[in-house]
Amino acid sequence: MDIMISGLRRRFGRVEALRGVDLAVPGGMFGLLGTNGAGKTTLMRILAGVLPPTSGRVLVGGHDITTRAGRLAVQRRLGYLPQDLGLYPDLTTHEFLEYVGLLKGLDDDAARRRQIGELLDMVGLSDVARRRLKGFSGGMRRRVGIAQALLGDPALVVVDEPTAGLDPEERIRFRTLLAQIAGHRTVLLSTHIVEDVAQTCQEAAVMASGRVVFTGPVTGIIDRAQGATWEVVTQGPPPSTGVVVSAVGRPGGTHYRVVSPTKPDPAAVPVQPSLEEGYVALMREAVPG
Amino acid sequence: MRGRFFAVCRYEFRMQIRKRSLWLSTAGLAVLIAVAQGDRGPRHLPAAADAARVMGSWALLFSMLLPIGFGMVLADRLVRDHRLGAASLLASLPTRPGALVAGKYAGSVAATAVPALLVLLVTAAGEFVHRGDPALFLWAVVAFAVVLLPGLAFVAAFALVCPLMFSAPLFRVLFAGYWFWGNLLGPNYLPSLTGTLLTPIGDYPASWLIGERALYAGAPGWLSFLRPEPGGGAALLSVVLLAVLATPPLVFASPLLARRTSS
Repeated sequence: MDIMISGLRRRFGRVEALRGVDLAVPGGMFGLLGTNGAGKTTLMRILAGVLPPTSGRVLVGGHDITTRAGRLAVQRRLGYLPQDLGLYPDLTTHEFLEYVGLLKGLDDDAARRRQIGELLDMVGLSDVARRRLKGFSGGMRRRVGIAQALLGDPALVVVDEPTAGLDPEERIRFRTLLAQIAGHRTVLLSTHIVEDVAQTCQEAAVMASGRVVFTGPVTGIIDRAQGATWEVVTQGPPPSTGVVVSAVGRPGGTHYRVVSPTKPDPAAVPVQPSLEEGYVALMREAVPG
Repeated sequence: MRGRFFAVCRYEFRMQIRKRSLWLSTAGLAVLIAVAQGDRGPRHLPAAADAARVMGSWALLFSMLLPIGFGMVLADRLVRDHRLGAASLLASLPTRPGALVAGKYAGSVAATAVPALLVLLVTAAGEFVHRGDPALFLWAVVAFAVVLLPGLAFVAAFALVCPLMFSAPLFRVLFAGYWFWGNLLGPNYLPSLTGTLLTPIGDYPASWLIGERALYAGAPGWLSFLRPEPGGGAALLSVVLLAVLATPPLVFASPLLARRTSS
C-alpha cells in the first residue's frame, strides 16, 4: 500500500507543525526519522485519519484521506500504534484485543478469536492474555499495542515512536517484531532513535522543522557524512569545531568521533561514518546553527 | 455500524461495572437513605400499603440521591479516553464517532442501572420479609423503570458530555448544585425546576405509582405550564421530556470529541 503526500501542511493556531511535506512511501518497512518536534507525530496522525490536514493532498493506496469516504477506506486497512498508547486498565489483554477487533469490524467471532490467539503468541503475551492491563510494563504495553495494530491483517501499519523508553532487550525484540511483519505490507516506523531505522529499514525519510529534508535509501543518509567524519584522540578538551557524536575514554586518551565539514583538529583522522553520523550531518545541513 | 455500537456498549458496560467506586457510591448512598429517612419515609408506611405505593416511595427516595453518585462517576467516561491515551487509537478505527458516543452512553446507562435495580430489588426483598407481598418485586422493577431509569439516562447524557466543554471536577460541583436546586429545593423558596415535569428524580412517575403527590410534583411555582396535576399522562410526559432533553448533549458530543482529538 503506497503513500503519496504532496504539499501537506498542518497548523495548530500560530504554530505550523507541517510546512509543505512531499513524500512518497513505497511498500515494505519505511523509517521516518527526526528530532522531537520535527512533525513526525502530526504526520502519523494525519495518515491514521485522526487529524485533518490544513491543506495538501494525501493518497494512501489510492484513497484521498482528506475525504470522509477515503479516510474510512484507509482506516479499514490500517493498523495504528500511536505514541503513548493508553490501554484500559479494567480490561484484560484478550478483552482489549476483542474490543479493538470488533471496532475494526472483525465480526466473525471464531476468526477474530483465532487471530487474537495467533497475535498473542507472536508478541509473546499468551501467558498474560487473561490478566488485566493494569500493571503491565512499558514493553508489554507496546506489545499489546502492536498486536492490536495487526488485528485484521492491515495493509498499512503506522507505528509512532514504538521503542521510546524501552530497555535494550525489549527494543531489540520490538524491532525484530516490526521487521517480521513488514513482509507483505507497508510499515511506517516513526522514531527519533537512529538505531531503530538502521536495524530495520532500507528506505527512510528525515524530517526537520515540519519539512522532509531527506528521502531515499538509508545508505544515502550515511553518505551525507562521507568525508566529514573524524576520529580525534586527545587527553585535552574535545574538539571545538563540529559535532561530537561519541566519546570513549581509554588509557591513551579520549577517542572522539566528530562530524565536521572541515578537519576539527590537526590530529584528526577521517573514518567511515555510521548512520547516526550521517543523520547528524544531515540535520546540520537542514537546521544550521 | 450496529455491531460497533454494541461492541462499544458492551465493553463500556464491562469496564464500568468493574469500577469499585460505582458499587461503593451506590451502596453508601443506599444505606444512608435507608437509615436516615425520616418518619415520612417508606419504612414507616402502614402494613396495609399496596406494593406499588411502597416501591414507588422507595424508588423516589433512592432517586433523590443515587443519581448524584452516578453523575460523579460518569463525569470522566468520555474524557478519560484522552486522559488514558486511547483517544487517538479510537479515532483511527473505522468506527463513526456517533456509534462510539451512542455506545458509551448506552453502556454507561446500563452500568449505572444495574446497581440501581439491584438496590431496589434488595429493598423489595427487605419489605417482603415484613409485608409478605410478592408483588413488591414486580413493582420494584416497574418503579425502577419509570422513576429511576429516566433520571439516570438524563444524568448520564450530561455527565458524559459536559466534561468535554469544561473540566470534570467543575462539572461535578455544578451538577451537585443543580441537583439540589432543580430537584429538592422547595419551589416556594426560590424559582426552581423542582416539582416540574423536567425533574429527573421522577417526582411525577412516583406520584403516579403512589397515587398522590409524592414530593413537589405539580406544586405551584415558577414555570407553571410545566406543573400539571400528577397522573399517568403527566408521568409519561415527564419521562418523554427527560428523554428528549438528554438528546442534544449526545448530538453535540461527536463534534466536541472530534475537536478535542484533533487539537
